[in-house]
Amino acid sequence: MEKVIEIMNLTKSYGNGRGIYDLNLDIYKGDIFGFLGPNGAGKTTAMKIMTGLIRPEQGDVRILGHSVTEEYEKAMAKVGCLIEIAESYHYLSAFDNLRQLARYYPGVDHKRIDEVLELTGMLKFKHEKSKKFSLGMKQRLGLAAAVLSRPQVVILDEPLNGLDVEGMIDIRKMIQHLAEKEQTTFFISSHLIHDVELTCNRIGVIYNGKILNVENTQTILKNYATLENYFVSEVERNGRVSSSAS
Amino acid sequence: MAVFQAALLNELEKLYKKKKVLVAILLSLAVIVIGQLVIVGVRSGFGLRGTGSVEFPMLVLSVVVNTILPLFTALVAIDSFSGEFTQNSMRITLTRPVSRFKIYTAKITAIVLFILGALLLLLVFSLLAGFIFNTNSATLDSLSRTVFSYFVSLLPLTVLALAIALLANIFKSGIAVFFVSILTFLALKVLGVLFSQYSSLFLTTQLDWYNLFLVNSFPMLKILRQFLIMLGSGIMLFTAGFYIFDKKEF
Repeated sequence: MEKVIEIMNLTKSYGNGRGIYDLNLDIYKGDIFGFLGPNGAGKTTAMKIMTGLIRPEQGDVRILGHSVTEEYEKAMAKVGCLIEIAESYHYLSAFDNLRQLARYYPGVDHKRIDEVLELTGMLKFKHEKSKKFSLGMKQRLGLAAAVLSRPQVVILDEPLNGLDVEGMIDIRKMIQHLAEKEQTTFFISSHLIHDVELTCNRIGVIYNGKILNVENTQTILKNYATLENYFVSEVERNGRVSSSAS
Repeated sequence: MAVFQAALLNELEKLYKKKKVLVAILLSLAVIVIGQLVIVGVRSGFGLRGTGSVEFPMLVLSVVVNTILPLFTALVAIDSFSGEFTQNSMRITLTRPVSRFKIYTAKITAIVLFILGALLLLLVFSLLAGFIFNTNSATLDSLSRTVFSYFVSLLPLTVLALAIALLANIFKSGIAVFFVSILTFLALKVLGVLFSQYSSLFLTTQLDWYNLFLVNSFPMLKILRQFLIMLGSGIMLFTAGFYIFDKKEF
């Protein structure tokens, strides 16, 4: 299997003691990888390093064979991402926001912008300025931006934030469709464990900045009734149960 | 190069779509209109000549280069950096296949082009106002000197933009950057008066360097010295600003 993302010995610590320590992880082509962990476990830190927003103290991330720290432009050329909150320029329309991003990718034209707006259900708000958008609409625009360039790798941090039930189903379908039809690899973190169970085919659990286990969703569901049971048992086995479980 | 062009085009589009550019244009025109009204008032009220047609643009330049142009530069530079830091919209660009060096350079280039646009606008309109309302004293030589003065003013204003961009990368809040910029500007003005022998080193004095080109003897060495001081400080400010921007965590 072709490795798409290689995370090697990744370390980044913050003054408050949190961070990630010696993280190692391989993601393969066509994976929809679910990154699970309690609040403050280091999910966002890892994803920010993967997308070049922060630099690691040690280790590196290679995307499609290119180092994020050394060959950023090459590493990110086929990556789409949405980190934390979906940001947009509030004084620009949905279309103009996407056109800004489209300029960085040679193959993305106006037709493609319309396509992704349609895909995320935002076409009817094409010419509205994003300052008037609700949280869910901003999130949809963020997702449209993430898949705009027909990326081979998509990194999504809490992609379902602020979405209604219909929106969640739409996005889940979109992810599964892209993974199936275009062999897009997804790396998704979410606290909505049920949704991760339905969407992802591999699961990695991170706790206190360390990877506890990586397993296929099918294998997990053979041994545990739900993903939630697996998650709690993994966390319990490897340390103290987080305060959320008490 | 295509990536840099995309980044620059994006920065220019953002500048253009914000209302700030419109405000800058209106303020520039207001300066010219008010200036011209004062001149006409002086002429008809006191019977003084005021200015000739080519002198008026120079009068406008001497006023704006120390007032509204540094102010515009500060506003645009702060908005381009601090504005995007606080709204987290810097992430939109940073997670695209474009290096931070290209982003920083594109932002600075967009600010410089904005200043150039403002200078050209002021030049054209003050020349027009000068020709329409004032006694004709234009010669080709004085006209070319006027145009040249406007163009050379771009250099110190670029250095100023680089200094403000550095401050915007040091301080988090845009308001803090604005106040520190204004205080530093005023402090340098005062220091330039108190220590006049060193004043050529100060950016605030360099804003008036276009005057060197108006002297008939053309002080070549002095111009070269000033140019090298500005070039040196510009390179240092750019490097320092980019260094902090490159290390920043988002």
